[in-house]
Amino acid sequence: MKRAYFLFRKELTSIFVSPVAWIIMVLFTLVMGANLYLSMIAVSGDLKQLVAAGYGGLVSWFMLLVIPPLITMKSLADENRQGALEVLMVTGISDASVVAAKWAAAWIFYVILWCCLLPLWGILGMVGVLDTGVLFVTHMGLFVVGAAYCANGILASALTSHPLASAGLAFMFNVGLFMIHWLRFFFRPGDLELLWVEYLSAVHHIGDELTQGILDIRVFVWWGSFTLLTLFLSARVLERRRW
Amino acid sequence: MIEIENLSLSFGDRRALDDVSFHVPKGAVTGFIGENGAGKTSTFRVLTTWLLPDPETVSVRVGGIDLLKDPHAACSRVGVLPEQLALPGELRVDEYLKFRSRLKGVSGNRIHDEVVRVLNAVNAPEMIRRRLDTLSQGYRQRIGLADALLGDPPVLLLDEPTRGLDPRQITQFRELIDGLRGNHTLLLSSHVLGEVEQVCDRICVISEGQIRLEEDRETWTQRLDQLGRLHLELDCPDTKAKSQVTQWLKEQPEVSAVENEGSVWSIQADRTLRTRIGKKALDEKWIIQELRSEPATLESLFLQWTGPENKKAQS
Repeated sequence: MKRAYFLFRKELTSIFVSPVAWIIMVLFTLVMGANLYLSMIAVSGDLKQLVAAGYGGLVSWFMLLVIPPLITMKSLADENRQGALEVLMVTGISDASVVAAKWAAAWIFYVILWCCLLPLWGILGMVGVLDTGVLFVTHMGLFVVGAAYCANGILASALTSHPLASAGLAFMFNVGLFMIHWLRFFFRPGDLELLWVEYLSAVHHIGDELTQGILDIRVFVWWGSFTLLTLFLSARVLERRRW
Repeated sequence: MIEIENLSLSFGDRRALDDVSFHVPKGAVTGFIGENGAGKTSTFRVLTTWLLPDPETVSVRVGGIDLLKDPHAACSRVGVLPEQLALPGELRVDEYLKFRSRLKGVSGNRIHDEVVRVLNAVNAPEMIRRRLDTLSQGYRQRIGLADALLGDPPVLLLDEPTRGLDPRQITQFRELIDGLRGNHTLLLSSHVLGEVEQVCDRICVISEGQIRLEEDRETWTQRLDQLGRLHLELDCPDTKAKSQVTQWLKEQPEVSAVENEGSVWSIQADRTLRTRIGKKALDEKWIIQELRSEPATLESLFLQWTGPENKKAQS
């Protein structure tokens, strides 16, 4: 566990000493800031609707699908290609610890990205009435879905030896999860299958429930379990050199 | 210090290591030599637990610990300088070595001293604050070696340590390796046989996943002496005299082969024959233009050991 923590610290340091991370942060803040501004115009300044409009829209979803693959693409793929992974593993650190540390560093960076928007919400809160409960629950939803998307990125990174291939694969995994939502058009209200689709759909949870301030613990359990399963698979993929 | 008994490793149907057995005594510098794909790196990867050997492997012991039973403990006794050294360019030397120290279990209050110690050991203390991506290849190798030395492991595995270095850096690196002799047990894989000849106390030859030979310096030096040749050039225009010289050379007990071309003889024999040739030349009034010994190299021995005839004989 200690080794995983040391690796996590080093990974986070590596992210933040790279200019790419800062460029992503600036671009993310600018794009999402513009998105919030346009959303505010669309909802005629109603801050209660702004959370759903700002975070349930296409721009936010695009960020949610694209950012985790970009953060995680180098995690294992590049290290495997360069031989750095072998150097790392000879210290006796376990495959599971490596996967956990790399995922945690990527996820923390992802969380920090979304937290960059908090000052904007703070300013809005000063000039209007902001429902902090809805904002909090929405962010929790973004973080828990992001955790799963980052885990997808780690799995893709473990499966390939090229960062771009890893990013592409992770993007496909994420889009696949995203597209589950549209399966609901094949079912009628009251169908058991529809309940399953809604349960598995990130769009349903973030776009409909969480942005309305509805906190369903099952959502967190499902996405948390999905994250753990994906990380477990990543560790197994990393272990495959020994099979 | 390293004892390997019947180590086998397969990648699917391909057998990378086939019943490999050898041992490396404590404190020795052992050269591990073989062609590309012979199984050197695979052996190293088993010793670092990166790869697991096949179940039929009898035992792999590192520093007295059975690697098959307790891989983590065995791993902590090994320092590695891999062939493909990947350093995180964005970090400084001290940041990187501190991170590696923590991973290797060096206790918190000793980390700084340990980093200074290993940097001094590789003669690079002035690099402590430099970013890794600004280092020359020679210094990168030194930092790699410093990393291997963290935690003072008794066994060091150096995989092609002088690859990509210029002649001056190679000499400096050899001196570094020489300095580690006695304090650590070294297994050094290299294609540069001249380097192995200079640095190593023992050699272990691997070819097609099988150990062909294990020898100490004394034995292989004797072999080299036996395989050495003498180059003799005489000022003797007479054909009869030439055949007399050839005949006399063939009669000498140390001589195993004589080749003559014009007034030049290439003689496979012990170097001690030189004195006798000198005396004979004085007696027979031969005019010696040139007499020199051409010692055999480890390269010629290596080609012999890994050649098709040797493989056939061993199989």
